[in-house]
Amino acid sequence: MEIKKNAVAGTLESSDCMVTVEPAKKGLELELESAVIRQYGRQIRKVAMETLKRLGVKKARVSIVDKGALDCTIKARVECAVMRAAEYEGRVNWGGMIK
Amino acid sequence: MGISICNTPLSERQHKEYLRLLEACGLRDEGDADIIALMTEDDILTACGALAGHTVKQLAVAPDAEGQGAMAAVLSALITEAYARGIHRLFLCTKPENLRMFGSMGFYTVIETKDAVLLENRKDGLSSFLGSIPKYDGTCGAVVCNCDPFTLGHRHLIEYAAAHCDDLYVFAVSEKGSMFSPGERLEMIRKGTADIKNCHVFKSDLYLISRATFPAYFIRDESRADLVKSDLDIELFCKRIAPALNISRRFAGEEPFSPVTRAYNERMKELLPANGISFEEIPRLAEISAGRVRRLLETGEPEKIREMVPESTYEIIQRRS
Repeated sequence: MEIKKNAVAGTLESSDCMVTVEPAKKGLELELESAVIRQYGRQIRKVAMETLKRLGVKKARVSIVDKGALDCTIKARVECAVMRAAEYEGRVNWGGMIK
Repeated sequence: MGISICNTPLSERQHKEYLRLLEACGLRDEGDADIIALMTEDDILTACGALAGHTVKQLAVAPDAEGQGAMAAVLSALITEAYARGIHRLFLCTKPENLRMFGSMGFYTVIETKDAVLLENRKDGLSSFLGSIPKYDGTCGAVVCNCDPFTLGHRHLIEYAAAHCDDLYVFAVSEKGSMFSPGERLEMIRKGTADIKNCHVFKSDLYLISRATFPAYFIRDESRADLVKSDLDIELFCKRIAPALNISRRFAGEEPFSPVTRAYNERMKELLPANGISFEEIPRLAEISAGRVRRLLETGEPEKIREMVPESTYEIIQRRS
C-alpha cells in the first residue's frame, strides 16, 4: 500500500495511542514514545511492524505516541492511520488486509 | 463530556466563557486563532485550546477539571483537526515546567529560554531544515525579511550586508504576507538579488519570524508593543540556526514605523552580541517602504511604485493583476 499523504489516527488519552504516518523515500521508520517503553517498547514495535507488513506498506515514516494502549488498540490505530494516509477510506477490504 | 471544534469568531456566549476560562488559567486571548476546541461538561466549559497557523495555543483546563485527561483530549482533537486541514507540522509554546507533559505527548524541544519553550511535533524538524541549506566557510551573515513586496529598500539592505560578509543568507519569511504569497515574495527576492553573487536566498520555513516563533509579529497589536515577546525567535536564531550555518553577523533595516518590528530590533541589539553575533541596523532609504508600496497598489496607482521597487518586482506585480 502506498502512503500518499500525512495522516493521523488515535488520541493522546489514557489507554490509547496516536499514530502518525507520512510518506518516505525508502524503508519503514518507526519512532515510539511511551511511558512504558522499557516494559513494552519491543512488543509495541512488533505489533506495529507486523500490522504495517500485513498492509503491504513498504515505505513510510511512522510515529507512535503511546499512552498505555493494548495490542489490539495499537493495531487498529496503525491500520486506520495507514488507510487515511493511503487515501483508502471508504473502500477498506474488511476480512482481507484488515482481519 | 464532549469537544467541539469551532471556527473563529466564536459566538458571543462561547467567547465570553472562553475568555473566562483563559483568565482563570492566567492566560490571555491573543486573538489569532483559526479554530478553537471547546470541551464542555454539563454545558460548562472545562477545557479549551486553539490552532493558529501551525501553532497550538491557548491550552487551558479549568482548575476543578484537572487530572482527568482534559488536556490530552483537547490536544488530540486539535491535532486530528489540523491533519484533516493538511497541517501536519505543529508547534506549541509553553512554560518550561510543562516540558515533560508535552514531551510525553509527542512534542520535542526546538528552543528553550528562561520562561518559555517552543516545541514541535517532530524530533528532526529543525535539523532537516538546516540540513537542506548549504554551508559556507567564510564569514557568514544573515538577513531575515518579509519583503511584502521586495523593494529597493530591501535591495539596499541586502547589498550592504552582502558587502560586509563573505556569504550572506537571506531568509524570506514563509508565513502568508498581507499582500503577496510566500512563493511570490521568494521569487521577488531571488530575482531582485540575482546579480549579488554571494547572496543566497532561502525560505525561513517556520523557524525564523513565524507565527510559531514570534506570534506578536503577525498579530500586530501595536498598542501592546511593550509586551512583544521575541526572545524565543532570537534565541532560536542564536543558539541553533547561527551555529549550524556559521553565521556571525545579522543585519536588519531600521524601523521607524512599526513598534513591533522596532521592539524586535531593540531586543536583537541586546541578545545577539551576548551570543557572539554582531548586529547592525541599516538606515532606511528615504521614502521607500513595503507598506507604502502596498497602499499605492491598493489605491490603484501601480505606476507610482516604479521608483520604489526593482524591475523584477514590478514585473511580478504586473503579472498577477
